[in-house]
Amino acid sequence: MSETTDQPVVETPDGAGKPDMIVLEGVEKIYPGSTQPAVSQLDLSIPQGEIVMLIGPSGCGKTTTLKMINRLIEPTSGRILLDGKDVTHVNGDQLRREIGYVIQQGGLFPHFSIADNIGVVPKMLGWDKQRIRQRADELLHLVGLEPSTFRDRYPRQLSGGQQQRVGVARALAADPPVMLMDEPFGAIDPITRDRLQDEFLEIQRTVGKTIAFVTHDLQEAVKLGDKIAVFATGRLEQYDDPDTVLTRPANDFVSDFVGGGAAVRRLSLLELAHLELHPIETDEAGAGGAAGRNGTAVAEVDGSGKPVSWRHLPGGDATGVPLVTVPISGTVYDAVDVMLDSSASLVAVVDEEGRAQGVLHWNDLVGGLRTRERDA
Amino acid sequence: MNFLDYLASNSQQILFLTQAHFLVVLIAVGIGSAISVALGLAVSTGEPDPRRFSLDWFATGIREGGLVFTAALLTVPSLALFALFLPITGLGVTTAIIVLTIYTLYTVLRNTVAGLTTVDRAILESARGLGYGRLRRLLTIQLPLAWPVILNGIRVTTLISISIAVVGAVVQGPGLGILLLNGISRIGAANSFYQVLAGTLLCLVVAAVFEIFFAIVQRLTIPRGIRV
Amino acid sequence: MSTATTETVDAQAEAAVEEGEKREQTRLAALWSQHYDLVILPAIIVLLLVFLFLYVGTRQLDTIEQRVLAPANVGGLLWQQILLAGASTVLVLLIAVPLGIALSRRGARRVQGPVLAVGGFAQALPPFGVLLLMAFWLDFGFTTAVVGLTIAALLPVLRNTVVGLQQVDQSLIEAARGMGMTSRQTLFRVEIPLAVPVIVAGLRVALVLNVGTATLASYIGAGGLGELVQQALRLNRINVLLVAGGIIAALALLIDWLAGVVERIVVARSG
Repeated sequence: MSETTDQPVVETPDGAGKPDMIVLEGVEKIYPGSTQPAVSQLDLSIPQGEIVMLIGPSGCGKTTTLKMINRLIEPTSGRILLDGKDVTHVNGDQLRREIGYVIQQGGLFPHFSIADNIGVVPKMLGWDKQRIRQRADELLHLVGLEPSTFRDRYPRQLSGGQQQRVGVARALAADPPVMLMDEPFGAIDPITRDRLQDEFLEIQRTVGKTIAFVTHDLQEAVKLGDKIAVFATGRLEQYDDPDTVLTRPANDFVSDFVGGGAAVRRLSLLELAHLELHPIETDEAGAGGAAGRNGTAVAEVDGSGKPVSWRHLPGGDATGVPLVTVPISGTVYDAVDVMLDSSASLVAVVDEEGRAQGVLHWNDLVGGLRTRERDA
Repeated sequence: MNFLDYLASNSQQILFLTQAHFLVVLIAVGIGSAISVALGLAVSTGEPDPRRFSLDWFATGIREGGLVFTAALLTVPSLALFALFLPITGLGVTTAIIVLTIYTLYTVLRNTVAGLTTVDRAILESARGLGYGRLRRLLTIQLPLAWPVILNGIRVTTLISISIAVVGAVVQGPGLGILLLNGISRIGAANSFYQVLAGTLLCLVVAAVFEIFFAIVQRLTIPRGIRV
Repeated sequence: MSTATTETVDAQAEAAVEEGEKREQTRLAALWSQHYDLVILPAIIVLLLVFLFLYVGTRQLDTIEQRVLAPANVGGLLWQQILLAGASTVLVLLIAVPLGIALSRRGARRVQGPVLAVGGFAQALPPFGVLLLMAFWLDFGFTTAVVGLTIAALLPVLRNTVVGLQQVDQSLIEAARGMGMTSRQTLFRVEIPLAVPVIVAGLRVALVLNVGTATLASYIGAGGLGELVQQALRLNRINVLLVAGGIIAALALLIDWLAGVVERIVVARSG
């Protein structure tokens, strides 16, 4: 391994100074007995601390690519660099202990307790018992499972979502700089999946790992990815940030793959906090006379400042229009969801304490989207 | 004299033969299981790559061949095996144990191979992804997960061995078969029927003792997370 | 018909024949790759017998040995052995299979568990003991031996049948009922055809058990190849012992092999 340490750190042109953590150089995989490469001449750089989503139809080589990074699958040719070090020929088992790995349904060991499952890699790395136990508790906390309840349980006593959380905790156990995730949320019901994705982003904000993440779900790719790599039969078709992939597909394949729903999917990229919202005024419940403020929506709020109903709406009758809210940390997609759900043509955007920050109208939304697209 | 009187008045001999029967089965099953489990562990590799020659090929060959061969041995009547081994190993306990051991091989080997190879692929893959080497995977993941199946194979083979061990008396092997041969050779004489009856029924008692033994072993050795 | 056409026809016929041969070859190759293991056992049997005869051939047999190993004597005992095993196997199947089917009916499901448990435990009940007990009850002889063999093999085969019928895919039965088949029609047109492999497997189990236990029938005067072993032990003749052991082993392997072949054919037919 010593002769590989002097490899230069490869900088990406668009990486904004962030060094590349994972670099694939001309990597190719031809399975024995097959003439067609599963992955051919792939160059891919993943900057430190970013989530890159590998996506494509089945058989496109995305999973093969992922598994070549930790050499579960040995590349036929090419080089793999991790943090600047050539790891193409180092001991595979040693290498894998330094890379987090999460698969569908967690792949937890059914005969190990939850704490033992999380401690698998630290134990192999020779940590002492006390430290392993502490680390397990710490990680259970991080993934939102109460350590005292869960540490001594066994995987089959956990729901699919909880198992997946443990799977993530296990991958994080030895604090590896790099994590590989192979459709980790693929076998989980949509509601739980959505929550796990949110939690995952939350965790990533604190741990800042470099993550390669295989998915077949474009929605998931757009939601989680800093970048998306679209694969087609062993080739990388486009490698860009989600917005670019959705709005400017590199070729017909990508535009077919992204499909007609691109505009709708983009909604989940627009964060409400970055939008120009309509102003909102509030009145204490029971306070009289608010007429005359024609241009502004007025909401009646309860004692803690949370809006409960509309008192006045510009250019319309406020009675019978339900007041619905969406947190400002959400996206336009969430806002649309709320509006459709309650048949309301507008939604109040609220902050963490539930206080109204502004209003988003159904009609404005369409206009807003257009302006932003011109900006882009 | 009724059956119980017979048992009471011959309790010492009967108890001795029952213990001997138990021990012969225990030793044979112990040796046979050790061989089978070790062999099973050694040869339970993945499917060999059909395009590349490797050690996996030998392992697969030994595994498949071993299964066919030991299965064939199991169909050979016990009297024939006792007869064939008698000239080599002589009359007595050695022959009895060798032949019994041979009969235990197939069931345990089959269950070991089946148990090791049916471990969930996702679990093995995640173990590999976390940096488990082949041996560590085999011993800390596959073996514990296959253990209930292996143990059940040992249990079944024990039951079968109890009834085969009876025939060992033909080559003067120890155990309850002695009561059977004695009884039938004295047919018509006093207590000859009780002798045969006792020899037959006490096999079930030996079996019951083993069942309890296995229930305890199961409790103690099957990891809590996979206990049903 | 002009010569040209004849030639073309010939060429076509030749091509067709060649094609057919090729297809035949690939068919054989497929058969071979699926069933090559069936060749291993006969090879072992033949080797076993060859060694046996070579060994005995080099020995100087005394008169007693010559008398015991005379083809007429061995042949007669062999035939007795086959009769014993055959008769008891037929009886076992006649009793165990219908009983197994009856036990798998909805009404009898509750009895099933106990039967399976007892059947499993009964593996420890020595067939030898059962056989001897029959002699006390019914006297020595062929009939007693057949009864004893039948009883000894009954529970294992019954167990096998019940387990096999349990494994018939429940969704298929539901589908059959869903199409309006009566439970009787379902049994005869779905369940039993699907369970045929199981029943054949039961036949194989019964045969192997009975061939084995039949060697012990000589202890209750019913003859069979066990007689050879008994004589060898009584006369202290090792050569006879080896020949007896070899023949018994070869017979058992051969019968199991035949049953295995039948099993393959039946399973292949019933898909």
